[in-house]
Amino acid sequence: MVATTALTVMTVMAVSPWLVQAPLLASLAGRVPGIFFGLPLVALASLIFAATHHEDPAQIRLATVHWTVWLGGMLGMVLAVVLLLGWLQ
Amino acid sequence: MGVTTEPESSRIVAISPDDGSAIDLRNPALAAVLSWAVPGLGQLYQGRTTKGSLFMAAILTTFVLGLWLGGGKVVYASWKPGDTRWAFVCQAGAGLVALPAVVQSAQLLGPARQPLLLNGFMAPPLAPGQYVSRSYADRLARHDPDIGPDDFFDKPPLKQFRRDQLAQWHRQLGKFFEIGTLYTMLAGMLNLLVVYDAWAGPLGLSEDEKKRRAAESAAAALPAPPESAS
Repeated sequence: MVATTALTVMTVMAVSPWLVQAPLLASLAGRVPGIFFGLPLVALASLIFAATHHEDPAQIRLATVHWTVWLGGMLGMVLAVVLLLGWLQ
Repeated sequence: MGVTTEPESSRIVAISPDDGSAIDLRNPALAAVLSWAVPGLGQLYQGRTTKGSLFMAAILTTFVLGLWLGGGKVVYASWKPGDTRWAFVCQAGAGLVALPAVVQSAQLLGPARQPLLLNGFMAPPLAPGQYVSRSYADRLARHDPDIGPDDFFDKPPLKQFRRDQLAQWHRQLGKFFEIGTLYTMLAGMLNLLVVYDAWAGPLGLSEDEKKRRAAESAAAALPAPPESAS
């Protein structure tokens, strides 16, 4: 247990500075419009919500899809309203 | 969700909302602490390997991704006036991966006036007028392309920074400072759900429990029966 913890933390700490200095990845990220960075967060939140509400992997998968559609839909509607208000101004 | 203690063995178990089976929570408090320290470790300790691995991969990946998007500068602890880093309260939810920020901050503001990891990883930005050790100032001037020897006043035995490093980071990273902060904050906040799952089992309700609650709600919504005449 202690070894797993130490190994995980050390791996994360070792990988992070390398990633920070990876210029190719950085230039790729720079070309992605900002709004798309929200999509992985919607998927992550759905996955964690689903996995903390169920125990069976099949149910977790179903609930992840359900939450992604629900959360994505809600945020999409908010975005649509904001864009509409911006267009009307 | 349901937590119960089985009398014959004194085991603490939760009831799975999917098939009604018992989930052995072992020592829930220890599992919760482990899940905070390393996301998913509490579930691994309880023998729930699929969920444990899933939580560990998802949360640590998001945290590291956020750190990378923010140029390694978005996770730091600072309680200075003018730069109170409230985001760190959420980031700390991710556990030990955020711990270097606390150590770095304590060292930089302590008598040593320099972070423990001298490359400044997770160290708070230098404020205008902040004193740092000579070795840390020299190291920054050598290795940080945006900082030169002229950016420090010589105040033996220390050096005093004369610019605003946080403003410099914002100029350098643009939108990625906020995006990286958001990723790391969300990883920390979602880990609190994982901690709760390790402590008390799944949050979902079983079909039977849903039906029972629906019946209770329906009964409560019915009008009260008229009082019988005595």
